Amino acid sequence: MPELKRLPATRIVATPAALDAAKWPDGTLALRLASDELLVTPPVANPALDDPHAIIIADAGYAGVWLPEAEALAFLERACEWELPVQRPAFAQGAVAGIAAKLWFEAGRVLLIVPAPLIADFEERMA
Amino acid sequence: MSILIPCPHCGSRPIQEFVYGEIPAVPDTLTDPDARDLDRAFMRANPEGVQAEAWFHLYGCRRWVRLERDTRTDAIQSS
Amino acid sequence: MNEFMEKKVQFKWHEPKKHYDVVIIGGGGHGLSTAYFLATRHGVTDVAVLERSYIGGGNSGRNTTVIRSNYGIPEAVRFYQRSVELYYQLEAETERWIMHKQKGLLWLAHTEAAVRAEVARAEINTAFGADTEYVTPKQIKEICPEIDLSGGGAWPVIGGSYHPAGSTARHDRVNWALAEGANRRGVHIHQRTAVTGLLMDGDRVTGVETTAGPISAKVVLSAVGGHVTTLAKMAGLRLPIRTHPLQAYVTNHYELTFNPIVASTSLLFYVSQTARGEMLIGAEIDRQPSYSYNSGHHFLQSCSFRAITLLPFLRNLRILRQWTGVCDMSPDYSPIMGKTGVEGFYITTGWGTWGFKAIPAGGEQMAQLIATGQTPEPIAPFSLDRFANDRTLADRGSAGTH
Ligand SMILES: Cc1cc2nc3c(=O)[nH]c(=O)nc-3n(C[C@H](O)[C@H](O)[C@H](O)COP(=O)(O)OP(=O)(O)OC[C@H]3O[C@@H](n4cnc5c(N)ncnc54)[C@H](O)[C@@H]3O)c2cc1C
Ligand SMILES: [Zn+2]
Repeated sequence: MPELKRLPATRIVATPAALDAAKWPDGTLALRLASDELLVTPPVANPALDDPHAIIIADAGYAGVWLPEAEALAFLERACEWELPVQRPAFAQGAVAGIAAKLWFEAGRVLLIVPAPLIADFEERMA
Repeated sequence: MSILIPCPHCGSRPIQEFVYGEIPAVPDTLTDPDARDLDRAFMRANPEGVQAEAWFHLYGCRRWVRLERDTRTDAIQSS
Repeated sequence: MNEFMEKKVQFKWHEPKKHYDVVIIGGGGHGLSTAYFLATRHGVTDVAVLERSYIGGGNSGRNTTVIRSNYGIPEAVRFYQRSVELYYQLEAETERWIMHKQKGLLWLAHTEAAVRAEVARAEINTAFGADTEYVTPKQIKEICPEIDLSGGGAWPVIGGSYHPAGSTARHDRVNWALAEGANRRGVHIHQRTAVTGLLMDGDRVTGVETTAGPISAKVVLSAVGGHVTTLAKMAGLRLPIRTHPLQAYVTNHYELTFNPIVASTSLLFYVSQTARGEMLIGAEIDRQPSYSYNSGHHFLQSCSFRAITLLPFLRNLRILRQWTGVCDMSPDYSPIMGKTGVEGFYITTGWGTWGFKAIPAGGEQMAQLIATGQTPEPIAPFSLDRFANDRTLADRGSAGTH
């Protein structure tokens, strides 16, 4: 199993409309944690947002690993008590092997994200 | 079978992903301020039937989900 | 004598009368025990116990039967000590074999804070008449060789308390011994008779409305376990009770004898062995209030995971069955017994996850209250008005489980 690595990101809390309208550079992942919250990785400096009250902070609290889709699904189907998304790309979050995880599904590969303090725990449960 | 809670942002998830939150209700009939304080601090509606409640999606979006649950069966109706 | 060789239960069923001196709602341990003590200690036999299902069909037939008095506050230690003493005499008293067995109870500590709590428990128990001593890991291993003192590497056992009087009894037998003893002295027990309302004369309760018609009474006692909020509402009362499910399960037979009852506050589970050799495992309540008897795989998984860290042999056993009760949880984890402020209406509730051990003393004290009209001193602190009077009796560390 590949190791989980720190996943530097920017966390943004803003109005849903401002988040809907925002544009991100190519190669950036903008994961919608909630209707008014985004986790953007790699980090973005000074994003243009149509919300004067937006909160933008650097977030070093997550770790992630890309896995080939088949390998990821074999693990996730065992470790999730909820339905995984079938469309691609897709974002999902919930308990994976009892740990709060965030998942980004692309054609052919999946990004698994967990809170950085739980890297060791999560790797143990993946094994 | 785990009880499933429908999170409007994340989808249906097992109840263990959530933290239960009570929505307290003090009866309108209590006008004496001391009685109201006592009721708010300690007394509970604890209905055998449908109650409105809030669940915090700790393992997902970290937002409160409001719903109605029948405490006799745990059947959930989204509100 | 074994479980199958003894006298059959002697029981006399009656048609409900229109009036009784005392009507007890709920044929669980507390209702039956109150009837038993009314009849045997006070000669009060014009008593009916109304049970909507069958005797012991509530929590009194679903619990894990731990009997102990190692509580954390003086009022509770004294009260439960009385109940433990009554349990030790209950077979002689009722002339029925309740399979009471002394096992000794180990309460394990895995953190410095928990060690302090167990030292305090031993001190306060000793001061108020219960027998509990602080024990070191070496002593713990002698009492229970099966324990992995390293706690699977994550939960090392660094101390604990030992309560030699800790025991268990067969729950159905306790319920039926008390029911039969009361019945033999004239108490009527009506199964499949639900109370659907209270008869009121102004602010006073004067009887009950039931599925078998109205019954008037001088005194009505509510002893309905988790359903107390609904019952109290009929008298216009709101209670500080939330009803929560509590689950438990047993494994298949463990071939060896496992002597003690083992509990851990940090790991939130407790284990004992039944007379049939099954390992009986319990834990904390489900977080959400509910009246449903649903039980779930998640509970088995998380509870087994924790139990195995201390008792690795459990890993090789299989789970046989699992069940749920619905518990009347009080906010301070102490019972609520006595007068309610409504004339003619008494309650015994707040038994939560810990009321099986209290069945003899709870019944004894409630019977005295009903017979004399005076609240006995040992249960005075547990009155409902303690919440209004800023006299709550917080004892979560002792009552959170079993
Ligand atoms: C899984 C589990 C494990 C437990 N483990 C322990 C333990 O190890 N040690 C310990 O001390 N305690 C334990 N307890 C707690 C203990 O079981 C209870 O506190 C105790 O049995 C309460 O007795 P009761 O008579 O008050 O209530 P119950 O036994 O629940 O009796 C109430 C009765 O009232 C009836 N009723 C309700 N409404 C009405 C109505 N309207 N009309 C007529 N009848 C009605 C019900 O059908 C029921 O039979 C445990 C509980 C559970 C669920
Ligand atoms: Zn969610």
